[in-house]
Amino acid sequence: MTSGDWLLLAGVLLLLLVAWAVWTLARLDRLEDRVARAWTALDVQLQRRAGLAEELARNYPAAVGADRATYLAAFAADARNPVDGDRELAENVLGRELRELPPELAGVPAALQSDLGGTTTRVGLARRFYNDAVRDTIALRRHRLPRLLRLHARRPLPRYFDIDDRLVEVTGSRRSGGRPGS
Amino acid sequence: MRIGLVCPYQWDIPGGVQYHVRDLAETLRGLGHHVEILTPAEREESLPGEWVTFAGRTVPIPYNGSMASLQFGPVSAARVRRWLRDGHFDVVHVHEPAPPSVSLLVCMIAKGPIVATFHAATTRSKWLAAWAPVVSPWMERISGRIAVSDFARRVQVEHLGGDAVIIPNGVHVDAFAAGPSLPGYTRGADGPTIGFLGRYAEPRKGLPVLVEAMRTVVRQHPGARLLIAGRGDPADVRELIGEDLRPHVVLLGEISEADKGAFLRSVDVYCAPNLLGESFGVVLIEALAAGAPIVASDLDAFARVLEAGTAGVLVPRGDAAALGQALADLLADPGRRAELTVRGAEVAAAYDWQVLARRILAVYETVVPPEGGVVTAGEDDEYPAVAPTRSALRRWVQR
Repeated sequence: MTSGDWLLLAGVLLLLLVAWAVWTLARLDRLEDRVARAWTALDVQLQRRAGLAEELARNYPAAVGADRATYLAAFAADARNPVDGDRELAENVLGRELRELPPELAGVPAALQSDLGGTTTRVGLARRFYNDAVRDTIALRRHRLPRLLRLHARRPLPRYFDIDDRLVEVTGSRRSGGRPGS
Repeated sequence: MRIGLVCPYQWDIPGGVQYHVRDLAETLRGLGHHVEILTPAEREESLPGEWVTFAGRTVPIPYNGSMASLQFGPVSAARVRRWLRDGHFDVVHVHEPAPPSVSLLVCMIAKGPIVATFHAATTRSKWLAAWAPVVSPWMERISGRIAVSDFARRVQVEHLGGDAVIIPNGVHVDAFAAGPSLPGYTRGADGPTIGFLGRYAEPRKGLPVLVEAMRTVVRQHPGARLLIAGRGDPADVRELIGEDLRPHVVLLGEISEADKGAFLRSVDVYCAPNLLGESFGVVLIEALAAGAPIVASDLDAFARVLEAGTAGVLVPRGDAAALGQALADLLADPGRRAELTVRGAEVAAAYDWQVLARRILAVYETVVPPEGGVVTAGEDDEYPAVAPTRSALRRWVQR
């Protein structure tokens, strides 16, 4: 081959590489959006859950028990604004407290109870969708070429959000054809 | 909420995914939402109305023992684009998006929140393993993934590298729970009957095992009859039945959706002797909703629906003697049958579309951004389009 042929080949390869890089950049961009949207959704639901827990503790201490109401209020406040910055831990503690509430809350309006139940479900959904978005981003960024070309530039690597929501409604129960807690 | 549902299989051919989409759409409309469907069909005229949009025809490809329908091309892409632009949906919900179908096209073209439901449960598939990396750039646009069963979720986790929330297939429980019986086969009044529903010729449905088991049943219940409903050549079954069982078997042929309820309300016991992988078993839930006690083979999917045997009797698959004995015992024990009917209604209630549609709505609400916004076709999407008609093509060129 002449040097001209080599040059042409190199040019074609370079063009392909550029096209591929542009396309991958677009993917990374879209994934960043998706992670951001999923995080917003999760954050909204977590805030909502903390708000409902506070409402429950403030207005119906008799139904949940005075001690428990104090804890619930404190945990909810901590979940909204974690003292040590560990949001996952704070949400876990609040989640556990809410799970341990007695199933029948006498005197608490049904609307608040169903709101709380619905929000708990949505926390589970939003968390899974957020982690899914994070997983897709990490998978793409682990590829050799994007890593080599540093296509992600200054984008921070998103983190998984892991809390124990133990949500039978989301992962499926024996009743809905899944394993509990899987 | 404005919802766009996408069904990748031809609307006028019976199938689980088609029924799923149809029932979900009906239920969501009943809850006051605006729902439109985009689907291929064999004949455009067969689509039921305004709210179902024709996406073209598909090319059937034999795959994994059944038919997969492929649909890919610039004309289909133009249809998808127009549907998305005209629909102004808050969310688009595609079904089975991994194969090259109209669902995948929607994933490629749509801009905005996409929810996907995965139905298939084949965990070991070389085809899927090779295909998954090819489609991952478009799969990663899906904001919320739903699997209809634990098995379907496993496909997600193992092949497509994602997670999914489980929301099972649904049943219109009320439609099965109450209604007429088949004339001459009233439950509890017209002699013991055992029901079987499925294509005769498909060996994995296990009809030969059930026929063999009937010999045991008939010895103990001389008046027992087996009612067989489903598509197929009656000659095949007659051969299978033989002289001795002929008076005990009734072939009903193919029955309509409406008659299916009546059939399930009529039988004293419903039997699902399947030998091989069913991913879900909607028919079991329909039978539970219709109050029929069930004897089923111990497939994983069936054991899940029947709650490990508390909501129905499970027998080892392919064991005609055990199946026959289980059927005969259940026919002899009205108390146990009544118990199973009560338990079955409780189990079926969790699969009612009214319940499941609300869970699916919760998924939509989670992926739709709080400030709103609509799904549309991207201006810069990566799929070439050829408009379906010449005049539209001219308009497109002029643009």
